[in-house]
Amino acid sequence: MKKFKRIAVTALAVAALGVGSVSVAQDAPQGNAANGKRIFLADGCFTCHGRSGQGGAYNGPAPILAHTALPFDGFKGQLRNPSDDMPAFSEAVLSDKDIADIYAFVQSLPGPTSAKDIAILNN
Amino acid sequence: MPKRRQQPDASRRNFLKGAGLVGAAAAVAPPVAANAMPAVPAEKLKAALPGPRHVATETMPPNSDPVNQSSSGGDFMTDVLNSLGIEYMAINCASSYRGLHEAVINHGNNKPEIITCVHEDIAVHMAQGYAKIEGKPMAMACHGVVGLQHATMAMYNAWCDRVPVLVMGGNIMEADKRAPGAEWLHAGVDIGQIVREFTKWDDQPASLQHFAESAVRAYKIATTPPMGPVFLALDAELQENPIPDAESLRIPKFAPVIPPQGDSAAIAQAAKMLVEAQNPVIVCDRVARTPAGMANLVELAETLQCAVIDNAGRMNFPSRHPLNQSFRRAMIGQADVILAIEMNDLWGTLTHFSDRINRRSRPAYKPDTKVITLGVRDLYLKSNYQDFGRWQDVDLDIAGDGEASLPALTEAAKRLIDDGRKSAYAERGKKLAAAHLAMVERSKTDATIGWDASPITTARMCAEVYNQIKDEDWSVVGTSIRLSWMHRLWDFKKPHQWNGVSGGAGVGYNLPASLGAALANKKHGRFTLAFGGDGDFMFNPGALWTAAHHKIPILYIVQNNRAYHQEYMYLIAMAARHGRGVDKMDIGTTIKDPNIDYATVARGMGAHGEGPITDPKDLAPALTRAIAAVKAGGPAVVDVVTDPR
Repeated sequence: MKKFKRIAVTALAVAALGVGSVSVAQDAPQGNAANGKRIFLADGCFTCHGRSGQGGAYNGPAPILAHTALPFDGFKGQLRNPSDDMPAFSEAVLSDKDIADIYAFVQSLPGPTSAKDIAILNN
Repeated sequence: MPKRRQQPDASRRNFLKGAGLVGAAAAVAPPVAANAMPAVPAEKLKAALPGPRHVATETMPPNSDPVNQSSSGGDFMTDVLNSLGIEYMAINCASSYRGLHEAVINHGNNKPEIITCVHEDIAVHMAQGYAKIEGKPMAMACHGVVGLQHATMAMYNAWCDRVPVLVMGGNIMEADKRAPGAEWLHAGVDIGQIVREFTKWDDQPASLQHFAESAVRAYKIATTPPMGPVFLALDAELQENPIPDAESLRIPKFAPVIPPQGDSAAIAQAAKMLVEAQNPVIVCDRVARTPAGMANLVELAETLQCAVIDNAGRMNFPSRHPLNQSFRRAMIGQADVILAIEMNDLWGTLTHFSDRINRRSRPAYKPDTKVITLGVRDLYLKSNYQDFGRWQDVDLDIAGDGEASLPALTEAAKRLIDDGRKSAYAERGKKLAAAHLAMVERSKTDATIGWDASPITTARMCAEVYNQIKDEDWSVVGTSIRLSWMHRLWDFKKPHQWNGVSGGAGVGYNLPASLGAALANKKHGRFTLAFGGDGDFMFNPGALWTAAHHKIPILYIVQNNRAYHQEYMYLIAMAARHGRGVDKMDIGTTIKDPNIDYATVARGMGAHGEGPITDPKDLAPALTRAIAAVKAGGPAVVDVVTDPR
């Protein structure tokens, strides 16, 4: 329950910041980032790519998604017919609208910052 | 004043009087009459009256068979173990080796030192972790059947990891010597067969001299590359009974095997291929078996100025060495010569494999790439368990211990390198160094993503830990699955700073094996730490009691993603493949509702506990407190609630 409350609070914060419905790239459809976050967590995208989109590992490295430079078509193509071991998400489990929402969400995630600003990363 | 009630007196004096009467009665009546005990009034309870056996002890002549002995086979067995320099014997106590157990304590003055474990899996895993730091085996003793069955998972990990462990299990060989009940349940004709498929050698000695020779032989076999666990079944009669002819017994002389060096002609051919290559790449896994191993590999890599891809089965190569390209595996696709040293899974390393409906694979290297192998792993294989992996085509297959063969290979290469090549190699080295540096900077930048997030990112967790231990003589001896941030961010450069992983990927390794490594590090004054997953932790949490009891200092960080996370991901892949229910795959794969409080578990075992830490700001202070507890001489657990990977 605590987890779901936290998700809800975060989703509200995202909406309050005006990224609840964003067009993040010229080729991308309108997406709802708050709903995208909900799906990202519920459908397990976070399990490989991390809740912050930091990337991770499945059978091999899972790429960073935070503020991804991947165009929407490529993003959708990877979900529908991945080039590697990533699970393929058909329309039965993930609609085009869902994908647009997830894309909006990952585009809303802050990407990397300068490591020089974090002292303990320079040991 | 109330009148005292007269009650039967069960004091010893009356017991003897009664015994006299019973004894007299026994002459005319069967002993069963002694079972008729007077009732004791409930209001003044006393100890139960003696039974017929005690009465007989007091009144009858002693038995003719001996009740004391001045020597025991266990004493001699203890002497044999000590002759091999075995420092510790991890045990879960059991009657089938009580003779040896008592002898180690009283004859050996607790040498080898007994390490009390609450599960045999813990005991063997401790020995595995210990051997990888100390470079020699410790002993483990258990019940011959049920204890050995518990020990099997850890023995399989040690087998796959090529680590020497001396396992001993008690047994009662002669049927007429077994007491009714458990001694029959815990005996076997050939208990070694329980573990034979994943041990290098086993025996069931039938005499003390046989034990001595088999123990020394077992030790020698275990420590000869390719190393592995060995097993001895110890007959209880042999352990417990007097030594019949002590003068005839001798402890054999142990001389360690010098690991075999690769054939000199083959080494010369390998050197020529490497020197003439445009893009040679070294891949390795379990090269360093002594502190010299890393230095030997560094010298070869620097001689050739070539890329090294380290699978990190041991502390093979410094993480920040400019030639370390372990996070640039695409280098394999550019290689014209690949030198694979002491590889565990060469085919897997050199292959792109797809875990899809159709399981396809293709080589990760070019068709004309030459592959050289150097190692001893394939010199001892067994059939049933498939840990040898898939067949890999190679061009030059050199049987020889990697560490032992490296100096000769390096010298052979040096002899072939002229000034022209030196210049080209320097250029190659500069490019690799630049790529390595870029990789390090990329890792630091990637680590900033989600820096303040909760659950805490694994990158932040590793960075916070390193910040507090970097100035210690640290040794990190455990990790959770696919936790790569340590090797991406930390400066690994000493032989004891890493000791690999489980070997067999058998869950439950991490906590006890880390403690074994910490036990080895203790006398060297090193600061031992380990990461481990929450799922792994729960297989053997009792290991923490052993750490607290024996005052083994270790900082243990639970990477708590509240799941068997690899399985969680696999299940999502299955659901996605079937086009259904991807949002329900936490069923059976997660460890929540209720969440486990690992700090409380730790405190319950006598260890220091911190957490659960969910806010990254709380992590540094918790680590500071835990490190202080470790420096005070005990184990400390920090429960960090993290992002999955």
